[in-house]
Amino acid sequence: MTNSGSSAKYLLEAKSLCVSIDNKNILSSLSFSVAKGEVYALLGGNGAGKSSTLKTFLGFNLPSSGKVLIDGDEVNESLDKVRRKTAYLPENATLYPHLTARENVEYFLSLAEISKSQSEIDKAFERVSLQNDARDKQLQTFSKGMRQKTAIALAILRNAPIFLLDEPTSGLDPVAIDEFNNLVRELATSGATVLMVTHDVYGACQVANRIGLLRHGELVGQFEAKQNEKIDTELVHAAFAQRQTSEV
Amino acid sequence: MVAFTKHIAREWRFMLRQRYVLILLVCAFILSSFAVFTGVSEVSSQRQTIERLKLADETDRLEAQAKYDDPGSLAYYTFHLSYSEPSNLAFAALGERDTYPWKHRIRMLALEGQIYESDAQNAELAQAGKIDFTFVIAALSPLLLILLFHDLSANERTSGRHDLLVTTAKMKIHLWGARIVVRLLAVFLCLLLPFYVAAFISDTAWSSIALVSLWCFAYFIFWTLISVYVGRKSSSAPRVASALIAIWVLFVFILPILGDLAIKQAVHSPKGGDILMVQREAVNAAWDLPVETTMDAFVAKHPKYANYKKEHEGFNWGWYYAFQQVGDQTAANLSQAYADASQRKYDFAAYVAMLSPPMLLQRKMTRLANSDAIAAFQYEKEIRSFHAELREFYYPWLFLENDFDKAVLSDLPNFNNNENQHKKQNKVDTNER
Repeated sequence: MTNSGSSAKYLLEAKSLCVSIDNKNILSSLSFSVAKGEVYALLGGNGAGKSSTLKTFLGFNLPSSGKVLIDGDEVNESLDKVRRKTAYLPENATLYPHLTARENVEYFLSLAEISKSQSEIDKAFERVSLQNDARDKQLQTFSKGMRQKTAIALAILRNAPIFLLDEPTSGLDPVAIDEFNNLVRELATSGATVLMVTHDVYGACQVANRIGLLRHGELVGQFEAKQNEKIDTELVHAAFAQRQTSEV
Repeated sequence: MVAFTKHIAREWRFMLRQRYVLILLVCAFILSSFAVFTGVSEVSSQRQTIERLKLADETDRLEAQAKYDDPGSLAYYTFHLSYSEPSNLAFAALGERDTYPWKHRIRMLALEGQIYESDAQNAELAQAGKIDFTFVIAALSPLLLILLFHDLSANERTSGRHDLLVTTAKMKIHLWGARIVVRLLAVFLCLLLPFYVAAFISDTAWSSIALVSLWCFAYFIFWTLISVYVGRKSSSAPRVASALIAIWVLFVFILPILGDLAIKQAVHSPKGGDILMVQREAVNAAWDLPVETTMDAFVAKHPKYANYKKEHEGFNWGWYYAFQQVGDQTAANLSQAYADASQRKYDFAAYVAMLSPPMLLQRKMTRLANSDAIAAFQYEKEIRSFHAELREFYYPWLFLENDFDKAVLSDLPNFNNNENQHKKQNKVDTNER
C-alpha cells in the first residue's frame, strides 16, 4: 500500500476518492494528481467539497473508498510522516493573537521540532514582506493580510515540499493578493508543490498551472491555467451557481 | 524523555502568556491557602481549647479533692476532661470533628447521658461543613480542572487553529500531551503548595504527605481525563463545559445525597436523644424503686459486690452509683444498636464512595487524618474505657466499704488521649508479638 515515497511521480494524488460524513457523500470518485513544482487550484462554490478535499489530504477525513497519497504514501497509514512533508495554511490563518509574530513562528516551529535562527526567521519575514517593526508586535494588532504573511512565513520556515492552502486570498486586498500570488509562484519555482482551494477564479488562473473544477464533490473539469482564455466559463459559472440553485 | 521536556518547557512558557489560565491558577492558590489557613486555625484553636480545659480541669479537681473526704462525694463532684486531640494532618481534613463532639467533662454518673448530651454546635453550620483543604480538593478542584481542560481542543477548533496545530506538531503527544501535563502540574502546585507549607509547620509525617500527594494527583488525573475525553471532538466549549459540570454535580452532589438517602433507608438507628432519655428515665425512676430492685440488677453485673449491705438509713452513695450503673445497663442495648448502626452506615458509605470519587477521596483523607467517624467511634470507646476505669477505682470504696484514704487519689485514673493512643499501640504490639 505504501511505496518508497521519494520516487513518486506525483507528490499529491487522489485516486477514485470517496468521502462520506454522517452518511452524506462529500466527495465522489475524485481523482487528480499534482506533480512536483506544480501549483494546482481546486475551484468551486460553497459546499463543493474543496476544504473537505484538503482535510482528506491532511488526514482529518477518512476515505470511504479510494486513496489519497502524499509523495506515494497513503495519508491515513503514515499520518505523521506525510504531515511532516506538508505545510498547511488555514483559511483565516488564525495564529495566537496574544503572541507576537515572532513568538507565533517560534512556537509552531518548536512544535514541529524545527530549529531556526533569528536571522533565518527574519529572512522568512522579509520574503513575505512583513515589515521589521511588525515582527515583535502581538497578532491582535495585525490586519488579516499581515496575519496571513506570518502564517506563510511559518510555512516557508518549515521547509516542507508540499503546501496545502485553504482559501489563501480570501479577505485580502488586491495588493496583498498580488504579493501572495507572486510568492506562491516563487515557491513553485523553487520546487514546492502547491494545492490550493479557492473560489477566486481569476486569482487561480494567475497563479496555478492547472485548475480543477469541483461540483457536488465531483471533479467536473480540469484545465491548463495557461489556456485560461479557453476556460469553459459556462461550466465555471455553473459550478458556482449550482450551489445557489440547490440551496434555493 | 529529554525531547518531551523541551515540549513541556515550551508549553509552560506558553501557559504563562495566557492571562485567563494565570487568573485561574492564582484563584486555585488563594482558595487552597484559605482552606489550609482555616484548617490550621481550627486545629490550633482545638488544641488551645484542650490545653485550657486540661488546666481548668486539673484546678477544678484539686479543689473538689480538697473540699470532700468521702469517696461518694469525691466521685460526684470531681469532673474529668476527656478529649480527642486533632492529628498533625487534621488541618487538611477536619472531617467529622465538625459534627461529632471531641471533648467531654465526665463524671462517675451514668455515662450514656454524658456521651449523648454533647455540646451541640450550630447544626446548620455543621451541615455546611468547613471549607477545609479536603473540601477544596474533592469538591472545588474538579471545577478548576474543568475550566482549564474543557476547551483544550474546542477553543483551538473555534479559533481555527486546531488543524494547523495538529498538522504542525511532529507528534500529537508533543502538543496535547505537553499542554495537559503543564496545566495539570500547575494546578497541582497551586493547590498543594499551601498544604506542603502547613504540613511542614504542623510536623506532619512524610508518609502522610506522600499519600495525600498521591491521592490528589490521581484525583486530578481522573478529572483531567474526563475533561479531555468529553472535549476531544467537540468544537463548542460551552457544550463541553455544560456536560462536564453535569458530571461534577452528579459525582459531588447527586450520588452522595442519593447514597445518604439509601443508607438512611437501609440502616435504622436509634437517636442519641432516645438513649439519653431511656438512661435518664431509668435513673430518675430508681429513686422511687426499692433499693433491692436496683441492687439486684447491679449485682447481676457485678457479683463481687454481692455482699454490699442493702439496708442504709437515708441516702447512700453506693445505692446512688448503683442506679447510675443500672441506668447505663438499661440503655445498653439501645446504645449498642446505635453504635452498630453507625458502623453499618460507615461501611455502606464505603460502597457509595466507590461510585463517587470526591466522596472516596474525602473518606481516604479523613481516615488518614483520623478525623472521620471511625476516629469518633474510637474516641467514644476511650471515654467508655476511661469511665469504666473510674468505676473500677471508686467501686471498692463504695461497695466493699473499705476505709478510704485520700492518698489513693494519686492513683485516680487520668484521661490522656496521647497515652491512650500509646497504650492501644502497645497492646496491639504485644498482641502481635
